[in-house]
Amino acid sequence: MTNSSQDKAPLLEIDRLSVDYGLKGVSLRAIDDVSFALRPGEAVGLVGESGSGKTTTAMAIAGLLSPNARVSSGVVRYRGNRLPIDDDAAMRPHRWSETSVVFQGAMNALNPVHRVMKQIAEPCVLKLGMSRSEATARARELLELVGIPADRGVAYPHELSGGMRQRVMIAMALACRPSIIIGDEPTTALDVITQAQILKLLGELRSQLNLALILITHDLSVVAESCDRVMIMYAGRIVEDGTVAEIFANPKHPYTRLLIDTIPNPANGKKIIRPIPGDPPNLISRPPGCAFHPRCPSAMGVCATEVPGLDKFGRARVACHLHRSSQEDKVAIHA
Amino acid sequence: MAVGGLGGKTSRRIGSILIRAVMTLLMVATLNFILFRVIPGDPATLLLGGARVSVNAEQIEAQRQNWGLDRPLFPDQMVDYLSATLRGDLGYSFKFRGRHVADLILERLPATIALVGLAQLAAILCGVMLGLYAGWRRGGAFDRVATGASLALYSTPSFWLAMILVVIFSTTLGWLPGYGIYSPGASIGAADRFLDYLRHLALPVSAVALGLIGQYVVVARAAMSDVVTEDYMVTARAKGLTGGQMLMRHAFRNAMLPIVTLISLNLGYVVAGAITVEAVFAWPGIGGLTVEALNARDYPVLQGIFLLLGASIVGANLLADVAYGILDPRVRQ
Amino acid sequence: MSDRIVQYSPSGRAGAIKGFLSKFLGYGGAQLGLLCLVFFIVLAAVPNILVGPLETAGTATGDFLAPPSGQHLLGTDEVGRDVLNMVVHGARISLTIALLATVISLILGTTIGMTAGYYGGRVDVWLMRLTDFFFVMPSFVLALVITPVVLEVMGRGREILGFRPSLFVILVVIGMTSWAFVARVVRSQTLSLKERTFIDRARVAGSSNFSIMVRHILPNLVPQIAANGALVVAGAIYVETSLSFLGLGDPLQPSWGTLLSLAQRAGAASAGAWWYLGAPGLCALTVSLSFVLIGNALDDTFNPRRRVIP
Repeated sequence: MTNSSQDKAPLLEIDRLSVDYGLKGVSLRAIDDVSFALRPGEAVGLVGESGSGKTTTAMAIAGLLSPNARVSSGVVRYRGNRLPIDDDAAMRPHRWSETSVVFQGAMNALNPVHRVMKQIAEPCVLKLGMSRSEATARARELLELVGIPADRGVAYPHELSGGMRQRVMIAMALACRPSIIIGDEPTTALDVITQAQILKLLGELRSQLNLALILITHDLSVVAESCDRVMIMYAGRIVEDGTVAEIFANPKHPYTRLLIDTIPNPANGKKIIRPIPGDPPNLISRPPGCAFHPRCPSAMGVCATEVPGLDKFGRARVACHLHRSSQEDKVAIHA
Repeated sequence: MAVGGLGGKTSRRIGSILIRAVMTLLMVATLNFILFRVIPGDPATLLLGGARVSVNAEQIEAQRQNWGLDRPLFPDQMVDYLSATLRGDLGYSFKFRGRHVADLILERLPATIALVGLAQLAAILCGVMLGLYAGWRRGGAFDRVATGASLALYSTPSFWLAMILVVIFSTTLGWLPGYGIYSPGASIGAADRFLDYLRHLALPVSAVALGLIGQYVVVARAAMSDVVTEDYMVTARAKGLTGGQMLMRHAFRNAMLPIVTLISLNLGYVVAGAITVEAVFAWPGIGGLTVEALNARDYPVLQGIFLLLGASIVGANLLADVAYGILDPRVRQ
Repeated sequence: MSDRIVQYSPSGRAGAIKGFLSKFLGYGGAQLGLLCLVFFIVLAAVPNILVGPLETAGTATGDFLAPPSGQHLLGTDEVGRDVLNMVVHGARISLTIALLATVISLILGTTIGMTAGYYGGRVDVWLMRLTDFFFVMPSFVLALVITPVVLEVMGRGREILGFRPSLFVILVVIGMTSWAFVARVVRSQTLSLKERTFIDRARVAGSSNFSIMVRHILPNLVPQIAANGALVVAGAIYVETSLSFLGLGDPLQPSWGTLLSLAQRAGAASAGAWWYLGAPGLCALTVSLSFVLIGNALDDTFNPRRRVIP
């Protein structure tokens, strides 16, 4: 899968993207110089704590930046064409037809006063111009596809379990046959068993419909089960990028290593979540140098003064001085 | 999650709504009972229409027996009082000698219903629409102007607004009548008479409505401001809906939920505004009756009005609960 | 949420107060409201110095219903009294009634809400039934029927705490009928505070229920009480003005509502005497609006709803 997708032209390219949020004249950099590409059918995980910029990255790709956000540099290209991600009206045709989002569907991502059938059919009517009966037929088809009996479509969101609501969200996301689906913490509020079912469903649909998937999560174990590639973000920058196998077998960045350590080990039968010591990144007063150095167990002098570039190691990328010093001869893609 | 469970939940909800309504009315009636027994003077005389009515000893004795005034206050007298209230027997007016309070109130009710009904209708239509729009375009120029003006209207006593309207539109400009319900004098045809009535309604209705518009704009704006930050609005935007589609299909109905509740809770204030406004225009409704009863210390009439207001407030709350159930599937089934 | 817990270290508290003030005063509405309020408090504090003692029909100096002039800046009433003189004295009456009624209302609301929330169970159920009643029945409607009866029982003779009896009754009745909203807010806040660890710690350390409520819960309720208190004052002014307008006030200690009532009886509106009815109403509006603006700004300061980053 991974090898075959490497050969295709990228579906989506994010090129040196930076996004700021404005607040009473002060501006905060939410994502800083983020670059990556997504190929058709590929599944990429974006992993980080809150404030890491993973959600802002996803919202920028979907054209859903909030009004106080500003794209200060960089471009997003979809099938080679630049997306007007900072123009709300111009992004409208792209939304849901090309890129759709599976939100954390727990309760509020679905409108509580409308039947789920209506909410699934809505984009079919508004974007594809279907008649009401065509749209209903499509909605029934989609419900069956995500494993919900079509007759349950008359239910309101509050009448469904968390897992069912998440399935409805997925059915809704598939309505206009998009080529990219962004999963924004799609399994976070669910119990472990339901979580596994939803991830399995996403995986099946992905290969069945040749969907590219961007999975936003704070939980590396979710990525391990469902993605080809993973990018670790910290304080608005990508700090490590590699295949799932590489990252888990040989994490290069100290932050990645700590993230892997926090995954509860089912082998000893206990779910102990060990948080990473120190405070999550504070965007208002970002530390100089590598943003992670105050929490980094391997921090050196240079870490506090110089921002490490994202260097290539074969297909992987790492932004860390530890690896930089021994790899001076490597070509840095960002100086 | 079973259907039976939801049905049980709903019947419990209806049950608790009804219990609350009955409790409130019971407390209104109890308060009336206590207040009337507290008034200095012989209850029997008071019940016959107060000290101003000349009655002989036999009548008083008959009344005493009739009302069981020699029996204990609680529970006997109170139960009697409550059952009389339930039958619509609210006693006799002090001021309008020997007239039944219920009759007096029913006589005056239509004028007030016309005033309050029209004002409420106008205020809901204008206030809610303006407020929803201000909340949708939160922070914009329209929002700032509308919010500022509404807060000012909200803080203005309606009767003062009424007086100002009279000074401007009646005394100075002479456009509209500022007093009464019909022009005195010549008998005119039915159509003209109706027009005359509407002209007399214009200023009182405006005075009550303007104050309410201020409140409804504030309420509707707050409701809409909460809705626009909800996750399902982000979903709607992600689905590629236009602003208008997001507003009409997703925001409107959700924003109406708290508005319905607040409008019904507000009925008491509507009536309060109407009572004082009626006093300004000598409008022959409940407000006018209230002022007359206050000036004459006509307690039975005052208490009858209190009971009426309590009942309409309770009724409005019940209505709001029904409306809420229709709008929000989470409490329906 | 956790930053709303009161800091117990002195420096932390000073910092919190400083942070609060700079945020609160950042709202234009709060500035405007405070400015108006200071103006009216000055009027209320020293009316005799500003406009001399309250004029009566006997000491009146002007013509009847004379429009504003150099001598009478706000004109005169139907017996020749100076309207400015009466309005400034009215500020004292109206503000005192509204503020004292609010104090009563806040004490009642906080006590009832905190007791219901803290003890729960039957206490909660019955206190909340009582609260429900006062919540749906507006203060104005209750006061309309209670005030005249209480006045009749007390008689209209002597002054109480410097108030004519009718004013005293009005302020007590308003206070006792407008606490329900405060009680609801306080109760829900108490319910969430009760679950916090510092309450458990106090309980383990052997503090009595009363001292937990007063020392640990009450300080954390201050933001809610303050924001709602400002709105209660606005409501109290509205109710007092309306009741006085209907004739329940006292002509010997005229509040703004009483002045409007006198203006109405004198037929000021149909006589076009806008100066007579304009000033008292405008004052009531301004003070009420000031409290609403302050209340809103307090609410926004304590519960910031807008997030900067989604």
